[in-house]
Amino acid sequence: MMSKMYVIETRGLTKYYGNARGIVDLDLKIEPGEIFGFIGPNGAGKSTTIRTLLGLILPSSGSGKIFGLDIVKDTKEIKKQIGFMPSEVHYYEKMDVHELLRYSGSFYGTDCEARIVELADMFDLDLGRKIIDLSRGNQKKVAILQSLIHQPPLLILDEPTNGLDPLMQARFFEVLKEEKSKGTTIFFSSHTLSEVQKMCRRVGIIKEGKIVAVEDIENLRKKQLRKIQVEFSRPAKLNEIDCAGIINPYADGNSIFFLFSGTMNDFLQALDGKDIQDLIIEEPTLEEIFMHYYSEENEPNTLSRKQ
Amino acid sequence: MINRNIYRKEMKQYRNSFIGWSASVSAFILMGMAFYPILMQGDMLKQLTAFFENPFMKNIMTAFGASLDILTNVLGFYSTRNAMFIMLLGSFYSMFLSGKILAQEEREKTAEFLLTKPVTRHEVVGSKLAAYLTYMLLFNLVILVIGFLSLEIFKGDSRYRFNTFAIHWFYCFLLMLTFGAIGIFLSLLIKRGRPITNLSIGVIIGGYFIDVLSRVTPSVDKIGYLSPFKFVDSAVLQSGYTITGWRVMYFLGLSVVLFVLTFILYKKKDILV
Repeated sequence: MMSKMYVIETRGLTKYYGNARGIVDLDLKIEPGEIFGFIGPNGAGKSTTIRTLLGLILPSSGSGKIFGLDIVKDTKEIKKQIGFMPSEVHYYEKMDVHELLRYSGSFYGTDCEARIVELADMFDLDLGRKIIDLSRGNQKKVAILQSLIHQPPLLILDEPTNGLDPLMQARFFEVLKEEKSKGTTIFFSSHTLSEVQKMCRRVGIIKEGKIVAVEDIENLRKKQLRKIQVEFSRPAKLNEIDCAGIINPYADGNSIFFLFSGTMNDFLQALDGKDIQDLIIEEPTLEEIFMHYYSEENEPNTLSRKQ
Repeated sequence: MINRNIYRKEMKQYRNSFIGWSASVSAFILMGMAFYPILMQGDMLKQLTAFFENPFMKNIMTAFGASLDILTNVLGFYSTRNAMFIMLLGSFYSMFLSGKILAQEEREKTAEFLLTKPVTRHEVVGSKLAAYLTYMLLFNLVILVIGFLSLEIFKGDSRYRFNTFAIHWFYCFLLMLTFGAIGIFLSLLIKRGRPITNLSIGVIIGGYFIDVLSRVTPSVDKIGYLSPFKFVDSAVLQSGYTITGWRVMYFLGLSVVLFVLTFILYKKKDILV
């Protein structure tokens, strides 16, 4: 039985395009009010997941719920409560920005005018321009406004920062923080972890259509994964430190670099008696942790399986 | 089933093309009918009697529904010479519009915008069909008015019954509607909303020639029934010319079936943008 109400909940959600894999057996649970990062490279199934949630494509099997409503049967009700920002912006080219936003707002039965003006001002967007005349960055701003003006309780953002300049990214993140403080749930897909790292409480990592891990950002950091560089006073050999927990080592000149998930005592013992010049132990960036999830065949002692 | 926002937007989007097509068809009708008094002057047509009596020509002319008697009557002239253009032009307009009104959202990838708004797929199809039907109706009202005016202006001494004209107009309207239903249905079968303009031209011209062929060649007259043109009754001067149930049923039945299939197919379609 479901004891907790999730904003988004999928069970075994699967989509094949003919024989081509879209997503396989996807289980996702997004909690109210959280910012959830959905990470994966292009072609991993991020957009397929989002399109299935939004009813643009129908699942081959499995089910999904948003606010407890079925993503296939109740898609209209669901979409009243969603603001969606696509990764590639395609709007009616002949409309001007204001016309497009009014058309968008007209579907929700609320007056969006004040919010349109306020946000256009914040993002420095000229409402009178024709869509076709806008630069990519400006089209992206229209997409931001379009997803926000009706003040939905759930935002689904597909690679939202793609094409935004850094200043606008910063403003966009401010707006998202503001939305979060109002209780808005945000589902945020990206292929750059660093931007998700700033915003999200949890991340889901998708690879070849499957979720490989769902982790708290804090947990990811707290895991004993360390980035280590050992420098010898002579050229280093790749396998010269024998210790459980060494991940993806590579040798370069006198040094070996690797991620380490074992115990420090074992590691220090393994170093004992070796000709060590320098030792650097630091916290890996999320990008590096992420790469670890992505290495083709993970070692048995990976983060996700240790739990 | 109809979302007013979508309907209004579609009406606005296709207003200019409606004006263009209406102006063209009006010009065709008026210019075409302007020939009528010229041909009647000094009995120009009657001097062609010998030409029309030639057995070969007679066959051809029958195929196009023409004979001297028919062509000398103002409504006969209208329904053979003009109505051919009206039917072809109108069918093109109808099929182009219906083939575009739904598919274009996919081709230009705005379907992603529209279908992530709180609307059902049925509402999208319903609203767009409503806009299409509105313009088809308006377009045919233009034809009715301009056609009637052209008959009145150029009829001279010739006589016709308004009812006959109206019935023939109604058949043309149903013909266009049927091509529209074929258009929107075909546009859905094509991936990513690619345009069906060439296909439409092929279907309409093909249908037209199948009809002509079936009239010229008695041995293959049955294949005419493959073409919607066959079901338009153009024998306007025949006594007892009236609305025939089976013709109307054919047009309406085929249209309704295709419209319903459009609703069903669109509901299940994956929108890949």
